[in-house]
Amino acid sequence: MTIAGVRAELEALLPRLRRFARALSRNAADADDLVQTAIERALGHAGQLRSDTQLAPWMFGILRNAWIDERRARTRRLRVFAPEESAAEVADPRQGVPDEALALGEALARLPEEQRLAVALVLIEGLSYKEAAHVMEIPIGTLTSRLARAREALQALLGEAGAHR
Amino acid sequence: MTFSDETLMAYADEELDATTRAAVEAAAAADPLLAERIARHRALRARLRAAFDPVLDEPLPGRLLASVRAAPEAPRPPRVIALRARPRWSWPQWGAVAASLVLGVLLGPLLLRPASAPVDTRGGRMLASATLARALSEQLAGNSGAPIEIGVSFREKSGVYCRTFVVHEAQSLAGLACRQRTAWQVLALAPAENAAAGGGYARAASALPPAVAQTLDELIAGAPLDAGAEAAARARGWNP
Repeated sequence: MTIAGVRAELEALLPRLRRFARALSRNAADADDLVQTAIERALGHAGQLRSDTQLAPWMFGILRNAWIDERRARTRRLRVFAPEESAAEVADPRQGVPDEALALGEALARLPEEQRLAVALVLIEGLSYKEAAHVMEIPIGTLTSRLARAREALQALLGEAGAHR
Repeated sequence: MTFSDETLMAYADEELDATTRAAVEAAAAADPLLAERIARHRALRARLRAAFDPVLDEPLPGRLLASVRAAPEAPRPPRVIALRARPRWSWPQWGAVAASLVLGVLLGPLLLRPASAPVDTRGGRMLASATLARALSEQLAGNSGAPIEIGVSFREKSGVYCRTFVVHEAQSLAGLACRQRTAWQVLALAPAENAAAGGGYARAASALPPAVAQTLDELIAGAPLDAGAEAAARARGWNP
């Protein structure tokens, strides 16, 4: 694939990359930063792409790695500077019922990272189990059990009321 | 027959082989509780999609578009032209344009030097010459050190794209041109201060004379284009 071809495909993929990043990181600006980091890394490695490489899963993998790096860096920063991140993330009940997207974003943010990734790849991005397992570099059985636990946790967090909306 | 939750989930995600899928379907038809569990899996998926799909329709941030597109030849400095808040003029915006055109006529002698004249006159209109037109069509805004520099790109109220420029010469000229169907029409042109050599990007700011700045204020609808919007407009050939 030529570099121009990669750039064109990346541009077409931007909306999905942004959606994927938004599912991982609730803050829209952080999510776009993540997309930008992934694009820069991808363009730096575009020479390694084989002609039969599927760009979308490859990019999701790069974005996932960038996100994991970012989370680790953030965790280190938090250990140094602040006691706990989660305290600020708990919604204030007095704000009333948050809107649907907010509620889902909050529920997703409470999942362990690996479960959140599984949900984002399969349920939001529509990857098959096989593709998602490949992106996450895990066996397919591990992917399905993570996905099952994530769904269970989400149902519990979101409650029955919203499940049929 | 009982099914694990993982199997029901895989059924809802359309990941089961045909045999297992048929077995689940048969069981669900006879067991409302089982059907209910499958429905919950599907509903969760639909809910997530409904919450995140709107991201797909958001306008793409300029910085992301810029990073996937080929890097410009020269690094882009920050924009330095400070736009005044647009005053609510009571007379037509074209008044200022006409004034600038008069100015343009007065500048005539400056423009007649054959090799470098940035404008041609055709049918009473000032159009960008070939060299200026190429710069207007192809260059992105910023201080590139090129003989012609683009200051700011924006949309005029009717939607057409306009750009300010500086032609660096012994006597530099600054102007503003708007994209017509096949040409760039120059709506303002005035002598520009020649900034000291090595003035960096301050050069572009100081070079915009009041007549051009006023025309810009008169014409601009909204904010100047950011880097991404500018690159996108260029890709569309500056068609509104």
